[in-house]
Amino acid sequence: MKRFDLIVIGTGLSGLTAARTAVDMGAKVLIAGWGMGALTLFGNTIDLLGEVPPETDMAEGITSWIAAHPEHPYARTGMAGIENALTDFQGLFPPPYSFAALGSGNSLLPTGAGTMRPTYLIPVTMAAGAAMTPPGTLIVGFRGFKDFQGDTVSLHLKCRGVSLSLPRYGLEGLTALALARLMDEPSFRERLGESIRLQMAGERFIGLPAVLGFRNPAVVLKTLEEITGARVFEIPMLPPSIPGTRIFHHFREMLISKGATFLMGHPASRAKVKDGRCEGITVQNPPLATQYRADSYILATGRFLGGGLWAEMERIVEPLFHLPVFQPGERGKWFGERFFDPKAHPIHRAGIVTDADLRPVDETGRVVLENVHVAGSILAHHQAIEEKSREGIDIATGFLAAKRALAL
Amino acid sequence: MTKAEEKPALFPKLPDVCVRCATCMAACPVSRVTPRFPGPKQAGPGAQRFRSASEASVDDWIELCTGCHLCDMVCPAGVPISEMNMMAKAKYLDERGRTFRDWLLVRSDLFGELAARFSKIVNPLMKNGLLRWLLDALLKIDRRRALPGYEYPTFRRWFQTRPAVPGITGRRKVAYFYGCFTNTNETDVGKAAVELLEAHGLDVIVPPQRCCGIPRLGVGDLKGAREMGRRNIALLRPTVRQGIDIVFSSTSCGLMLRHEYSRILNLSGAEELAGRLFDICEFLLRLHEEEKSTATFLPISLKAAYFAPCHLRSLNIGLPALELLRLIPGLDVGMLEADCCGLGGLYGFKNEKFAIAEEIGKDLTEAAARMKPDIILTDCEGCRMQIRHLTGLKVLHPLQLLRDALNRT
Repeated sequence: MKRFDLIVIGTGLSGLTAARTAVDMGAKVLIAGWGMGALTLFGNTIDLLGEVPPETDMAEGITSWIAAHPEHPYARTGMAGIENALTDFQGLFPPPYSFAALGSGNSLLPTGAGTMRPTYLIPVTMAAGAAMTPPGTLIVGFRGFKDFQGDTVSLHLKCRGVSLSLPRYGLEGLTALALARLMDEPSFRERLGESIRLQMAGERFIGLPAVLGFRNPAVVLKTLEEITGARVFEIPMLPPSIPGTRIFHHFREMLISKGATFLMGHPASRAKVKDGRCEGITVQNPPLATQYRADSYILATGRFLGGGLWAEMERIVEPLFHLPVFQPGERGKWFGERFFDPKAHPIHRAGIVTDADLRPVDETGRVVLENVHVAGSILAHHQAIEEKSREGIDIATGFLAAKRALAL
Repeated sequence: MTKAEEKPALFPKLPDVCVRCATCMAACPVSRVTPRFPGPKQAGPGAQRFRSASEASVDDWIELCTGCHLCDMVCPAGVPISEMNMMAKAKYLDERGRTFRDWLLVRSDLFGELAARFSKIVNPLMKNGLLRWLLDALLKIDRRRALPGYEYPTFRRWFQTRPAVPGITGRRKVAYFYGCFTNTNETDVGKAAVELLEAHGLDVIVPPQRCCGIPRLGVGDLKGAREMGRRNIALLRPTVRQGIDIVFSSTSCGLMLRHEYSRILNLSGAEELAGRLFDICEFLLRLHEEEKSTATFLPISLKAAYFAPCHLRSLNIGLPALELLRLIPGLDVGMLEADCCGLGGLYGFKNEKFAIAEEIGKDLTEAAARMKPDIILTDCEGCRMQIRHLTGLKVLHPLQLLRDALNRT
């Protein structure tokens, strides 16, 4: 049986980052995920910590956050660890489709709900959104494309909005993927640019749903900007996220080209554990079960949506290794009164507690599995949705977990 | 490495495990090119909630699913989307009835041997404009799609009549499931498979076998597919019981034998068979990794693009052909990045679906234009036909190039 240096379980941003870090260190890596991972659900921009006000320097903001939250995953990686990991991530996306911070702190970007949302690293196709001013902005939607309601967005942002018809493509069933695919066609985006230009009344910014192509989004952007003479930006919207799909496929293609084995579709359903070490995982593709072995393992299976955590009647469990899980109290206390409570629901703090090297520990702080490291949102003591730290945690802990796993 | 075990309860087959996340909508090759197919989320779990065994099917778009399985592979909730589509398609077509064309096309295994025997007459006929016009007008088999030529002798006949290989006795035996297309239309793939296996120190046997039945599954003919499955399980059982591994070189036949026989068709004996079945590249790669073979490859200076067929991805074994190809010194091999070739087996031969298959294939054509390879390699015969049609490039099974690179000294 083939033996890998490292097996990464999970194909979300944390797993992909871990696999990429390990491959770059020369390791023989297998990455296995249940489905495609969460990048198509989020993955529009790279949040680091939305709670830091835009005018505050990010490094300062995170440093004081860590001081106030010693159990937070960022306390494990430290600000230096976050910076290294982010630089590495940015290195994977060289221009023209690159990710950058627009200043030293957070920027506010318009969303598909018509709100302004703080985020840190921004793909080049969204950057102009941070500079837009409502009177000078035109929001463009597409008739028949239900995932982006241009009218709602423009109403909330207090700017003008139009809905374009795409006669050749029918009104029903326009999907984000179909639109993104059309954008990759030069003739389509040129015609689109022309129709937008005809709708303009002196606007200097144009916002579109985040569907500006797969292969060359920066080229789509450039075409539209040249034709309209305005700055164009993508607005993140409902899943499936096209920007997230771009990130996923970029990682996947890079990993395969560097010799990683990429399994996608079936969960790691069982782990073989002996004397405090993992000795193999089983991937289930009925009726077959295949075992894979490595020296080290990284658990990056996400929280509830990713399948990394399961809620039983009275407690939260981690189904693969049966690791100890930090519990959010009794069931009655899992959720706040209101769904959109600005304070996080207590259940969101559930997760795996680790030592400084991201190895899982029990209540007494003892390491449970020597050769398993944990990365991403499955870690305890963060509230990634409310504090807006999802991608930052994924990238920083994925990076650190791989470094530590290979140092064993 | 792979062995059959009991199934855990990880795959609840209910539409309600779908959380509507729409990830499958980012993977479906059909819904991205036509609004006529509502996409896997709606066609699978969405519509499933409203389906009832006692009511007539209304899903007139269900036939547009190609059965590529890409939706299953990206689903983060374990919804068996394509299986729901398959069952709905079967019910729809059972009620509406299948066309004579579909009846005919899925039985190509029956007339294949005969067509191969008379290939000198059959092949020119299949290129005849008038006949193709008639097939198009009467049967709706699209005349723009080249029909694959037949070859004689068939692979099976070649194998049975070739001279004995010296020094083969006493070697470990391996059985080869060649599939209909290799047998009558692309015999060189089978010859390459045999030569490679023998160069890796094995004694190849070719047990009796029938069409795997996947074409019948493609038109929702579960009964017909089950019948083919039952026959194959019975024919291959003696090999399995002797502890001999069986390798396949067609990833679609492989998917059918290894997974669909049990997952969709629930055939008894399917799990026992699955435990012995391997993709041939997976099998050869393991020999190299475990250093059980001394076979080496000589340099080939070519720029090659490897395309991973959908059904290979559904096997979820990684990309063993690509890893093997990397063992050829001097071969510059990269991935041809496209989601699906678009053919969908017999799907792309059908008049009403030709345009969809062409539009899906456009992404692959563009990927090939960006890469400019000398040659394209892919494990599936359907993909090979479609990629030849789309790009005009030379397209081979990875086994054929590996065979050419074998160090025979």
